[in-house]
Amino acid sequence: MPNSQENEKTNVLDVVVGYQEAVKVKKELEKTGSDFSDQKWATGNAIAKLHPKRLTLEVSEIIEDTASTKTFRLVSTGSDLPPFQAGQYINLFVNIDGVETARPYAISSSPNTRAYYDLTVKRVAGGFVTPYLLDSVEVGQQLLSTGPMGTFYHNPIFHGDDLVFLAGGSGIAPARSMLKQVIDNNLNQRFHFIYASSYVDDVIFMSELRELAEQNTSFTLTEIVSRPPEGYQGRTGHVTDKLITELIGDFKGKTFYVCGPTPFNEFCQAQLETLGVEPRFVRVEANGPPAKPSELAEWPDGILPEEEIEVTVKGKGSFKAKVGEPLLNSLERNGYQAENACRSGECSLCRVKLLSGDVFNPPEAKLRASDKQFGWIHSCVAFPTEDIEILL
Amino acid sequence: MKHYDAIVIGAGNAGLTAATSLQRGGANTLLLERHNIPGGCATSFVRGEFEFEVALHQLSGLGTEKRPFIMRKIFSDLGVMDKVEFVQEHQLYRLVVPGEIDTTLPASWTGLRKKLQADFPEESENIERFMVLCEKITLEAFMTLPKARKANDESVLKASCPNYVKYGMRSSKFVFDEFFSDEKLKTILGAYWCYIGVPPKDIPFPDLAMMIYAYAAFKPWHIKGGSQAMSSALLESFIEAGGEVRFNCGAEKILTNGDVVRAVVTEDGEEISCSAVVSNASSIITYNELLDHDEPPVEVRDDFKSRRMGTSAFVMYMGLDCTPEELGVTSASNFICNSQDEELMHDGMQTMNEPVAGMLTCYNFDDPSFAPEGKSVVSLVCLQYGDLWKDIPEEKYAQTKYEFSEKLMDVVAQAFPKIRDHIEEVEVATPLTMMRYLNTPDGAIYGFKQNPQDSELFRERLDSISGLYMAGCWNNMGGFQPTYMAGSSTARAVLKRMKSDDLNKSKEMQHA
Repeated sequence: MPNSQENEKTNVLDVVVGYQEAVKVKKELEKTGSDFSDQKWATGNAIAKLHPKRLTLEVSEIIEDTASTKTFRLVSTGSDLPPFQAGQYINLFVNIDGVETARPYAISSSPNTRAYYDLTVKRVAGGFVTPYLLDSVEVGQQLLSTGPMGTFYHNPIFHGDDLVFLAGGSGIAPARSMLKQVIDNNLNQRFHFIYASSYVDDVIFMSELRELAEQNTSFTLTEIVSRPPEGYQGRTGHVTDKLITELIGDFKGKTFYVCGPTPFNEFCQAQLETLGVEPRFVRVEANGPPAKPSELAEWPDGILPEEEIEVTVKGKGSFKAKVGEPLLNSLERNGYQAENACRSGECSLCRVKLLSGDVFNPPEAKLRASDKQFGWIHSCVAFPTEDIEILL
Repeated sequence: MKHYDAIVIGAGNAGLTAATSLQRGGANTLLLERHNIPGGCATSFVRGEFEFEVALHQLSGLGTEKRPFIMRKIFSDLGVMDKVEFVQEHQLYRLVVPGEIDTTLPASWTGLRKKLQADFPEESENIERFMVLCEKITLEAFMTLPKARKANDESVLKASCPNYVKYGMRSSKFVFDEFFSDEKLKTILGAYWCYIGVPPKDIPFPDLAMMIYAYAAFKPWHIKGGSQAMSSALLESFIEAGGEVRFNCGAEKILTNGDVVRAVVTEDGEEISCSAVVSNASSIITYNELLDHDEPPVEVRDDFKSRRMGTSAFVMYMGLDCTPEELGVTSASNFICNSQDEELMHDGMQTMNEPVAGMLTCYNFDDPSFAPEGKSVVSLVCLQYGDLWKDIPEEKYAQTKYEFSEKLMDVVAQAFPKIRDHIEEVEVATPLTMMRYLNTPDGAIYGFKQNPQDSELFRERLDSISGLYMAGCWNNMGGFQPTYMAGSSTARAVLKRMKSDDLNKSKEMQHA
């Protein structure tokens, strides 16, 4: 310090026993210390390797899996892609007819490969983004995404080595990645897939999975079809508690992963509950906002999903929206950007502050205790039930 | 273009109290936060049906309604007392050194004395003298020392701070050794060092004395809804006072005219004019990356050279499907130490070996509403230096995280053997996680290493850039109470300068 000489002479602390020695120590520290110039940009760079905010990806290949499903192989336009834990997703940003939106897709490729991420996308009837991806995206096109995210993966701290995956339709995507991880790394884990599909001619990864099941004694595959053609010889029906018991016997010590369309997830969860499987052994992947929020038991009386309300974004403008449409979607349709990733109520990136009015928060919205008091909502699963004003 | 009296960068504890105090004090203030919520580490998150408190273990300085202490006044001045609810904890901590010590200290000044005297009857008088010293030195440090320093008079200091003169620059270990001969008693009284991260030989005695006295006499507290409730309440108060806030909007640059602050550029590239900037970001990043100078001012670089990087933390947030009782929890805060040798413990913080000390905080022990019925929310923590994690290849990161988790659970399982049998949710935060969310070099959670030279007695406000102020743990002590207070005091300094500038301006006007 420029005036430390002077300070030393007049500093009253000199009478405190040990003060002068402590000042000497500080001087020594000054002589041997760093000015931390080596830290310049170091924090941001270290984090970007693991958790980049955005990735620019290029479609290197489009694999036609079934009539309804394609796998998009996305390669990095820069260095190696960040590592991920099998089961995680990336949120893919798209611009469709001028609307900036995004959807999360589980990575279906092995985490051992960091040259590309495979996203396996199944057409959603009446959907907005899947038809665009399946019909319009071409090889060579660049797409923006988040880094890998999500909590749906094998956690060795408490999941054990005896794993059962209940997959419905495109829910097989994260399962495939998890299986690849086990096989590629010779992990000592037993894996049983119970894979439910609607139609026999629309089963994703079927031949590959059958082959892997034949080659690996630790991997068991059970296929089940809910809408079989006449004369179908395989298993038919749904993933009931009886079926689960028949296939895996005692569920003690096993961890269950459930991933499929929301009704499939709910059905499977109910079966596991009936069997008495404790929640800590059940991992369920979230899958979008509720399609019909007004049919939920918690939906407020007297509010119709097709009613129109006004959304005001403080200092920026306002627009009309339907009660039954998630706030994030109507924001995007009207040209507003809110950060987002899981679009299922969990990740909290789309959180906005409600300044006035009220919204319906379905059980999917993983809000904190204090969020209700202070008006924080997850816009991806928030349904405005009256005129609202938000801070964006 | 709109001009602000002050722009606060970062809505952590000090950023929030600074912004709120500024706005309530009449300064037109803009708060920038790169995340989508206020709080920094004073936040919580949800997994499954559990909500996890990220950082707050025991809030100090509040006191009871009957016997209030400084934080009640500060929160009241900030307009948040009617927006939050506090829950009192009844124990300071349980300390377990397997095979040696297993004791729980009550959060009561007389109760603490009785407990220690009953357990160490041969040290009874020493305990009495020691506790009197803790109380007196705390009061001196808070009340009379600042006055004596202001008066700059040695005789005043000697007369009003006799205990401080004798022990104020001594290490905690020095005082323990002078007062006690029983090593176990020293270990028990020094356990709070596990929070601070520097061993008793390097903790200035007043700091530890203050912790023991303040926690025991004024109680440890938990905030209903976690520290996020306080962060949200502060933001609410800021907005109510007319403050403006932008979320998902980090600061990219602090622009100056020579050595005078003039504007802030946001991450969207917008330039916003202002008279003062209060940075709640780390001082290293503020001066190295945000300030538009090629390198920090000499005064700042010299200051940095006398500092050492502080500790980060490794935390396991756990939702358990058993009650606190079933887990064997008898106190919200628990320290489990494999050794009484604090040097060894501190060395352990610089390795990836099994940690020598671990903590377990159970959040629904004193506040049952913090977990679903029949379940528990706990955090397992060990302090650790973050540079260890920066060199791990990114493809090995997840595996390393899980392996270290097992080591921490091994330590904690000595006191809570059932910890592994009830895990329903777990999220692990490493020093890299701290880097990611706090944006601090090496994921430091308390700023620079809190050695005696880091204390504010050796520090002056870095003022070579006029209008640039630091608020947070990088220029003060770390932890909740110190950072809340740092923001408020920084705001006072800004307001004071604004007033004198206004006064000068009006004088100039008169002369003109």
